[in-house]
Amino acid sequence: MRPTYNETKGLIKIFERKQIGSGVWFNRITDSRFKINKISVGFYTAFDDNGGLSRADFALVPYCLTDCCEKYPDYKSLSMRFAELYGASISDNVTFAGNRRYTSIAISTLDDRYALDGEKLERESCELLIECIRRPLAADGAFDANLVRLMKTELIDAIDSIINDKRSLAVRRAALTAFVGEPQEYSVNGTHEEAEKVTPQSAYAAYRHMLEHGHIEIFAVGCSDFSESEKLLTEAFGSIDRRDICELCAEPSVLKKVPADVTERMPMQQAVTRMYFKAPEMTDRYANMLFSMILGGMTTSRFFENIREKQSLCYYCSSFSDRLKRTLVANAGIEPQNVKRTQDAIINELNNIRENGVTDEELRKAKLEVMNDIKSLYDNVGSIGGWYLGQVTDGVFLSPEDYAEQIMAVTAERIREVSRLYTLDTVYTLCPEEVSND
Amino acid sequence: MTEKINGSIIGESCLKYVHPSGVTVFMLPMKGYSTVTAQFSVRFGSQDCRFRINGGEVITIPDGTAHYLEHKLFESEEKDAFALFAQTGASCNAGTSYDYTVYYFSCAENFAKNLEILLGFVQQPYFTPENVEKERGIIAQEITMYQDSPNWRVIMELLSGVYSENPIKADVAGTVESISEITDKMLYDVYNAFYNPANMYLCISGNFDPDEAVSVCEKCLNGRTPLELETVPFNEPREVAKKRTEISMPVSKPLFAAGFKRPDAYGAAALEDYIYYNIIFDVIFGDMSDFYTRMRDAGYLNDSFGDAVFKGRGYVMPYAVGESDDPDYVLSEMKKELKKFKADPPTREMFDRIKKATYGDCARAYGNVEAAAQTMTEAALDGLPPFSKLDAAASADYEKMLGKLAELDEENVCLSVIRPL
Repeated sequence: MRPTYNETKGLIKIFERKQIGSGVWFNRITDSRFKINKISVGFYTAFDDNGGLSRADFALVPYCLTDCCEKYPDYKSLSMRFAELYGASISDNVTFAGNRRYTSIAISTLDDRYALDGEKLERESCELLIECIRRPLAADGAFDANLVRLMKTELIDAIDSIINDKRSLAVRRAALTAFVGEPQEYSVNGTHEEAEKVTPQSAYAAYRHMLEHGHIEIFAVGCSDFSESEKLLTEAFGSIDRRDICELCAEPSVLKKVPADVTERMPMQQAVTRMYFKAPEMTDRYANMLFSMILGGMTTSRFFENIREKQSLCYYCSSFSDRLKRTLVANAGIEPQNVKRTQDAIINELNNIRENGVTDEELRKAKLEVMNDIKSLYDNVGSIGGWYLGQVTDGVFLSPEDYAEQIMAVTAERIREVSRLYTLDTVYTLCPEEVSND
Repeated sequence: MTEKINGSIIGESCLKYVHPSGVTVFMLPMKGYSTVTAQFSVRFGSQDCRFRINGGEVITIPDGTAHYLEHKLFESEEKDAFALFAQTGASCNAGTSYDYTVYYFSCAENFAKNLEILLGFVQQPYFTPENVEKERGIIAQEITMYQDSPNWRVIMELLSGVYSENPIKADVAGTVESISEITDKMLYDVYNAFYNPANMYLCISGNFDPDEAVSVCEKCLNGRTPLELETVPFNEPREVAKKRTEISMPVSKPLFAAGFKRPDAYGAAALEDYIYYNIIFDVIFGDMSDFYTRMRDAGYLNDSFGDAVFKGRGYVMPYAVGESDDPDYVLSEMKKELKKFKADPPTREMFDRIKKATYGDCARAYGNVEAAAQTMTEAALDGLPPFSKLDAAASADYEKMLGKLAELDEENVCLSVIRPL
């Protein structure tokens, strides 16, 4: 059983969480400062144990659910409905959440107060979201064939177009080595070949799998109290016959015995390098956060000041930490002849913290920046919703204030200890053709 | 002395204050919010590359100078601006566009101190041959990074195809070659010419006390002797420079952008064009259009297709971007569709639906601290009241839309294509 509002210590008043069905949770964040309301329905599903369905089958589902539905059977009529709701926007997302797939569909609209003709925008947009998710354009165990034909093309185009963005391409290609044997090894969207094989039946089976076996998290965030939406969503998702609900799961990435070093080449001008450091034993998430910031996560970081500003090696050189994978990633865009020099500089900065620790001034600045970020969360519907959603996998819902308290207690010594847990696992470089890397 | 400006239909109001130095300040306190954003902007962007000071000789500066200056202004003799903001926990950044440069911070605490830092570093340039040289490699890498982005390149190629004289045909950051000419002295000259208080705006939104903001302005804004500054006008022909541009890059499918050239427009006229052509293009090419449905069903377009209006000081260009195996066919169909709608205009019902969506987009900006400051900055730089965009969207008129549609020349268009290698 996951914690509810009443069971969890320290939750702030605006957040409320309750179970509305088997494996279905309704999360409400109400704050009068907002001018919009956003409702999202998210499904957590496993990458295995799903009846032979492919990643592409699951990836196609949000495409089908946001393009039309039974009531608005084509994209044009659905878009017209969005426009009537003052440019309400529907968005979808498929991503990793620990070792699970997270698929979400969300709608956001202006609050009723700003409607020119007194429309009930929150209720109407919630109804539309439910129409899309619960009554798709489907019959006899299959999505509409023409819909699937069109959406397959869009999915394939999206999979193929990764080549257009070199940084994203480097992320995807590096994952093949950095996360070998783990869910993150392959794209959450699957491959071009898998997408070609999707059928109206297989995509619909993935949809039913999400509804019947997915762990469902609904977030309603905005200035409304969402009482009407809660009723509608409880009717829509609380009554589904559900069993074998997906358990949430996050495991650290496995550290290689010998670091891998892969270079791939393609016609481009700037090299992109990514270095993966892993710390499977790391448990101090707060010190880890500050360590990542001091190393390469802020404009006064070691990477920014020493690699960019002092050595002028790059425009960007940064690091971030994936706490669920216990992995820290450094990445930079550099001239091809500077790849090795930059990689050495990144290692040097990490080693320097391992050996000498961080200064009190660095620690103070990093804490201040985190505190600023924490307070900023409350000004944006997406940020505050994302904050609590980000903790679903943990099963413990820390308020931003609880988190801030823990951050403020971190010492320089704890950061040094965290830095010593990291070991180089993978170096990946996407490099222009015909350039020596020596 | 502050002046209150009421914010039309959404019930917001903002305050205007003009500092004796000439800097105009717009302030939008947002009740209940935790953060505050301040944007200090100057009407100087990459398009301002030929100018005269006090009626003197025409001065021409290399492409990318405004952007280079933005990078270097963060530096000072002691601590750079990043280090100063790090002392308070604020996040800060800057951006250069074709027609302006903006420096900004966001913070949840220490507003007055952060505002002092912002006003301080923008007014205290510190350029040396060494620090200017140091930046060259960093900016060169930034330029190279964008060279590898097809989504960026397709728009840059489009602008160079649409405009033959307007400096926006060149990249904001310039080229690796053009920035090699930039010196510390040149940056000082340009700074002294353009970073004049009368040419600058401060827009603040969020959780702050306007009286405190005014106090900081009184303490930190410096007076300067006004210069007579004239950006040399260019004689941009009405016709596009090229009908078509094409380059090859590693892309999965051809990318295209089609831009329709419009006559020069400034201030309220440009904003009006911006609102109406957004509505017109959404009606004709948007998600709910017959055009998009037909072209997507036939496999000529996918969900990357979109339309927008590119707007800055002196120019408005409605355009569409997307991926297609046959961009030339897509453009020919777009032209046919425009002709068809000129002969058989969209219904009033369709117009009202899109107008509502456009109004909704504009209103949403006032629910976000940073977006609200950005909206005020753009209006200020256009010489318009802070809520002018929202007002223009709410008051859009069907008959006027028909007039704007009739004005658009569907043949005065450039197609930019990026083919796979």
